[in-house]
Amino acid sequence: MAGSDEVNVNESKSVVPLNTYVLISNFKLAYNLLRRPDGTFNRELDDFLDRKVPANAIPVNGVFSFDHVDRTTGLLNRVYLAAPENEARWGIIDLDKPLSTTEVVPVIIFFHGGSFTHSTASTAIYDTLCRRFVNICKVAVVSVNYRRSPEYRYPCAYDDGWAALKWVKSRPWLQSGKDSKVYVYLAGDSSGGNIVHHVAVQAADAGVEVLGNILLHALFGGQKRTESEMRLDGKYFVRVPDRDWYWRAFLPEGEDRDHPACNPFGPRGRSLEGLKFPKSLVVVAGLDLLQDWQLAYAEGLAKYGHEVKLLHLKEATIGFYFLPNNDHFYRLMEEINEFVHSNC
Amino acid sequence: MGPFDPSSAAAAAAAAAAASSSSSSSCSGGSAPKRHHHHHHHHPPPDLDGLLAGAGYKVRSSELHHVAQRLERLETALVNSAAHIPHLASDAVHYNPSDLASWVDSMLSELPSSSFSSPCLPSGFPDPYSPAAAALGGGWVDHPSCSPHPQPHQNVVVPQQPQPQQQQQLTVVTALEEDSGIQLVHALMTCAESVQRGDASLAGSLVEEMRALLTRVDTSRGIGKVAGYFIDALGRRMLGLGSAPASAFENEVLYHHFYEACPYLKFAHFTANQAILEAFDGHDCVHVIDFNLMHGLQWPALIQALALRPRGPPLLRLTGIGPPSPDGRDALREIGLRLAELARSVNVRFAFRGVAASRLEDVKPWMLQVSPKEAVAVNSIMQLHRLLGSDPPRDPPIGSVLPWIRSLNPKIMTVAEQEANHNRPGFLDRFTEALYYYSTLFDSLEAACPVQPDKALAEMYLQREICNIVGCEGAARVERHEPLDRWRARLGRAGFRPLHLGSNAFKQASMLLTLFSTEGYSVEENEGCLTLCWHSRPLIAASAWQAAPTVVNSPAGVINHDDNNNQL
Repeated sequence: MAGSDEVNVNESKSVVPLNTYVLISNFKLAYNLLRRPDGTFNRELDDFLDRKVPANAIPVNGVFSFDHVDRTTGLLNRVYLAAPENEARWGIIDLDKPLSTTEVVPVIIFFHGGSFTHSTASTAIYDTLCRRFVNICKVAVVSVNYRRSPEYRYPCAYDDGWAALKWVKSRPWLQSGKDSKVYVYLAGDSSGGNIVHHVAVQAADAGVEVLGNILLHALFGGQKRTESEMRLDGKYFVRVPDRDWYWRAFLPEGEDRDHPACNPFGPRGRSLEGLKFPKSLVVVAGLDLLQDWQLAYAEGLAKYGHEVKLLHLKEATIGFYFLPNNDHFYRLMEEINEFVHSNC
Repeated sequence: MGPFDPSSAAAAAAAAAAASSSSSSSCSGGSAPKRHHHHHHHHPPPDLDGLLAGAGYKVRSSELHHVAQRLERLETALVNSAAHIPHLASDAVHYNPSDLASWVDSMLSELPSSSFSSPCLPSGFPDPYSPAAAALGGGWVDHPSCSPHPQPHQNVVVPQQPQPQQQQQLTVVTALEEDSGIQLVHALMTCAESVQRGDASLAGSLVEEMRALLTRVDTSRGIGKVAGYFIDALGRRMLGLGSAPASAFENEVLYHHFYEACPYLKFAHFTANQAILEAFDGHDCVHVIDFNLMHGLQWPALIQALALRPRGPPLLRLTGIGPPSPDGRDALREIGLRLAELARSVNVRFAFRGVAASRLEDVKPWMLQVSPKEAVAVNSIMQLHRLLGSDPPRDPPIGSVLPWIRSLNPKIMTVAEQEANHNRPGFLDRFTEALYYYSTLFDSLEAACPVQPDKALAEMYLQREICNIVGCEGAARVERHEPLDRWRARLGRAGFRPLHLGSNAFKQASMLLTLFSTEGYSVEENEGCLTLCWHSRPLIAASAWQAAPTVVNSPAGVINHDDNNNQL
């Protein structure tokens, strides 16, 4: 069993298409430059390197977007909607009618990944992903530009997620269906998946209805080292020490990885028994060193009596959904499609 | 029915769109709709990996393997010696991260060559979907990554085209949620449609209706305020009034307050000065040509920076172009004298020359008295777009101005422009873009600048622009803002190539912004250019250029006109 001193050989190039390899290796490399051993972060260089795109009220490939900024908090949400059929209305943002009065149009509140530290709602990979959700899964998407660590630690990201949920629920123009309500699902990758869980708990506690959670290789962890962490350390783009850095940057100073934010079902975790918690689609990439934590999360949900569907993509690496050049991407979209449309 | 009838407006707009000529828009879509003809004006090289383009990276498919190897090599070097990381992160200057190949190579070049193993066999990136390639060993079999991966899910529709350069258009929506705000926007659009269609009577009555709507809206801020300006501008257009004439003095006052009220001009000046300073490195005679001197607000900082050069300041000549002053004053000379005084106080040898011209196109290169021994910087802050209009059959003056700029062989040309497409031929398109752009701009003024009278005068400065965009045509319409993509293409065709602004300029511009305590401003990097954004919407773009080398074949060999290039 490889100990933490041994460096596993990078095997990622043999399992992903070349352009995926280039994309994720580039991130890995850039991110290595940005994390400092003392726990500080080179935010200027991160901002400089991040590839962003503005919102676009003119539809491109059937999807348009616009940003909403909350005056009091500065929280930005980027909204993605399907283009109106009437081309003469393109470029005009109609906020005076619902998404539909006959059909249900699910609204996915999306939390981008980046280990709580990188990326924004404007980041190109996430802007593109949200557009794909709209097209392929026939949903509306609201991408939350939550505050990031280390400048903003726990619980800021969760607070922003909760604020976004309340905002979305109260938008008449996000309503749909015959009963005119906002059909909300929460989705996120990496740290975004972690945020999904915690916002969903807060919603359940407050009696705010969330119809489903979608977690794409969510960021969970704990003090102990799991088998998958040790076996896969350094092999597929991700290293355990880097994961530790991001937890130290996000969790309150002095905390360890058994903090419930990181380890919701761990020794300091909380029981969800009896809570009106949404159904979950837990997506696990088989080559992600965090999979043991994610599998344990899915099991934990089941143990508390909550509906959970596990999508375990054994040959997928992290970030498989960024480029639609592999089977896993399409499988994921099918599952999400079914997940958000099966209620209606 | 409300102030507009969607179905009839839609039918009318569709008819109008079909009748109007294709707009030169740079946005794209799957099936080209009638209103926005999707012609790329700046075609990316055809073999760019389309999926990586959607992620913000421009990499040629044919280079993917090379880039992957270099990434691997860089990673190995950093794993072997983590001591290099702080250097790459803090000291090295990064340029244009979209060009991944160059970025990786520049990172590698920053490391001592002992860091990596010697170049050898291909590192063998097998194609998991093409076993034959793996069997051949080594090289990657080139299959263009933008062609669809063979997939069993044929019924799934996924956008396969490269993500096109998107039109810079978004709106900050908060104010639109009031009912009357929404009605106002819809009415504005309908009115603009009717203007485009030539239906003057409908347009006129809509203007009246909108003025009535305005009384029910808060016009001191938000959409009410901006809508008010656009309604006025439409009204003026209907009456054939165009923009109100303005004296040079008025222009200067408004400009000065706009400068004080918000960071846009300061960002442009600051970024340009950084680039100029770098370009002048090593030169002892330098000459800055400012296309719009105004009060010369940009130059004290440059003079002071030059004074602090380690090897001592150069001889600085500044040629300031500006409108002639009325009533016998020589405003240009007065500014020049003040700058000379400052230069003297910091021991920078300085000479000033004013060139009075009411229009940039009236300036001839001989007036600038450029000497071949000096390094020339041409500085254009929001001026180039003014050269894009003309009264037919004359051609826009940009066609003659860019060549003479190039003929000066400038070491650098610094350009700042509004990041917006306000020069589209279709009135409705232009109007819509302007509405969104100025909504964002006014939003930033409100949130970020409480000081009067700066704020009110800054708003008047912007109101002038709105009036010009909405109310004027031909040579009178000077506010012909175009986005970065179009300037890149235009300047490229005119024989300029980009000088990338790097991470150091980015960092310093970001620090400048922190002086404006309001959250909401940010600097973003856009393929070697820097943009100043308000809540993620780019509003001003700063870029730098140099004359691209021209190569002339002569019997004696190749003559290279770029004195800095060692191609010979």
